[in-house]
Amino acid sequence: MISFIIRKFLLLIPLLLVISFLIFLGMELMPGDAVDFMIPPDALATISQAELDLLRSELGLDAPFLVRYGTWLVNLVQGDFGYSLQSGVAVSSLLANTLPATLELSLAALVLSTLFGSILGVVSALYKGRLSDNVLTVMGMIGVAIPQFLFGLIMIVVFVFKLGWFPVGGRLTVGNEAFLQRLDHLILPSVVLALSMTAGVMRYCRSSMLDSLNKEFIKTARSKGLPPWRVNLVHGLRVAMTPVAVLIGFRLPMLIGGSVVIEQVFQWPGVGQMFVSAVRSQNTPIVMMVAFFSVLIVLIASILVDIATALLDPRVKLS
Amino acid sequence: MARDALNRKMDRLLLLEEQGRLSGNTTNRTLRKIAANPLAIIGLVLFLILLLACMAAPLISTYGPNAIDLRNRLSPPSRAHLLGTDQIGRDIFSRILYGGRISIFVGLGSALGAALIGVSLGTYAGYRRGALDALVMKVSEIMMSFPQIILVSILVTIVGQSLWNLLLIFILTGWPSMYRMARSQMLSIREMEYIQALQAFGIGSFTISFKHMLVNAVGPIFVNITLSTAMFILQEAALSFLGLGVPLEQATWGNILNVAQDLNILRGAWWVWLPVGLVITLFVMAINFIGDGLRDAADPTQVG
Repeated sequence: MISFIIRKFLLLIPLLLVISFLIFLGMELMPGDAVDFMIPPDALATISQAELDLLRSELGLDAPFLVRYGTWLVNLVQGDFGYSLQSGVAVSSLLANTLPATLELSLAALVLSTLFGSILGVVSALYKGRLSDNVLTVMGMIGVAIPQFLFGLIMIVVFVFKLGWFPVGGRLTVGNEAFLQRLDHLILPSVVLALSMTAGVMRYCRSSMLDSLNKEFIKTARSKGLPPWRVNLVHGLRVAMTPVAVLIGFRLPMLIGGSVVIEQVFQWPGVGQMFVSAVRSQNTPIVMMVAFFSVLIVLIASILVDIATALLDPRVKLS
Repeated sequence: MARDALNRKMDRLLLLEEQGRLSGNTTNRTLRKIAANPLAIIGLVLFLILLLACMAAPLISTYGPNAIDLRNRLSPPSRAHLLGTDQIGRDIFSRILYGGRISIFVGLGSALGAALIGVSLGTYAGYRRGALDALVMKVSEIMMSFPQIILVSILVTIVGQSLWNLLLIFILTGWPSMYRMARSQMLSIREMEYIQALQAFGIGSFTISFKHMLVNAVGPIFVNITLSTAMFILQEAALSFLGLGVPLEQATWGNILNVAQDLNILRGAWWVWLPVGLVITLFVMAINFIGDGLRDAADPTQVG
């Protein structure tokens, strides 16, 4: 087990090297280089070409491509992620400021969608063909089809403007910064972010649960006289949860992607909002670093999914 | 009980066969199964209505999608403007129709383009395996480890914002999942005995994979194309909502929704954003219904 995990993480390194190279290549392909952004436009008119070249060579911008990539990579490993082209603030400190908000939102959505998705899926499977199953199925279809941000907008209009139950956007009200006091800011965005994933998990959990309830070992368990709840929730659910765990792991990129949009809708001060404004203003270092870290999170999550699968299903051997 | 019913059904079928009445049924079994699926029919009808309405936009609507009427800004739905007007007096109803043309084009075009690349690569590499397959697989693995919206945004920053760029980017980011799907189909088909027979005849791998194997994987491919169309339409809407999709001058479903970021419009002018949002939801739902229906119909283990 331990050696499997270590090997998986070691395999991550070449993949990350390729991805970091692609990201660096992307930065090179974007219009303009650091010098263009460092000098204000009115100063650019008076500056001579020789001075520009000097500045470029001082910054190492005239070195060959691979050398520049090497320097960038060494800096990256040392925790120097570059600087915002607009404010000049280090990307690392920008990330440190915004990451907690995004993690808070994504984790809340992950917990909500896993919990509600599996519970509703199991209910739907156990009451197959009855009213509650049909209602849940229709809701699931709508949940998958509605654009997340539209659902967010509707929620804002209903719960913020009409009913006034929740504050408008943002992550906290100044002066009320304890977790419980921030909870009312968190509820709407996390529910909205969780929606489409809940619907997906529910549909998947329903069919997976139906599958496992048709297996022979369920008949055996029933004929041994176990109470129905034990048969369904202990014997059936455990087998049904394995594919669901895999699905949740694969949906993680969607959650990260979704948070980019949802943070914009709810003015949530997280990485997603920073990312969108960086893309709009072509603030390359921020764009690329966010991309790099989101890939890192996705890859680590896929390893965790492998481990979770092995824990849930004793037949799976890690090798 | 169930077995009795099945036996009776079999008896009836045998009787019909003896009387020679079964052979008259030559319609495609898949088509019959779809026609018997009410959700798929609802989806298809809804899809066609919306598609035709968008294609016939100039006939249905009297206003141009970008015609500005400054005297009627943000006016609520009325007889003159069926769904009201937006903040610079453009008719929402006709913008939805014209916008649908572009949104549907982007969704369908991207799905078809991605399928063309992904399925061709998957068909050939899935049959041949070897270095090509390993390479393409690695590339798709790398691309799929990016969250889609982040990868798309990066590419938008590099190549700039335009309708065609968006289409290209969607194709570029969409083919890996098509590739994987086609490849996994090929991997199971290549173990079948008729493939061995074809190989024994000395038929080239190109002919085997594209002429003899691809036909047996068409079902899942079509399902995937429909579901990807829905996904790309949702993505266009999300990107345009963020202002990173199709340039704002062009009416698309996402671009109409873009103004809902303004809290005053969100609060006071529901007709600007709610109808178009419902249209997107309905359209995506219709496509999903069709996709689900296709999936069930193409599945030979389900009786029809």
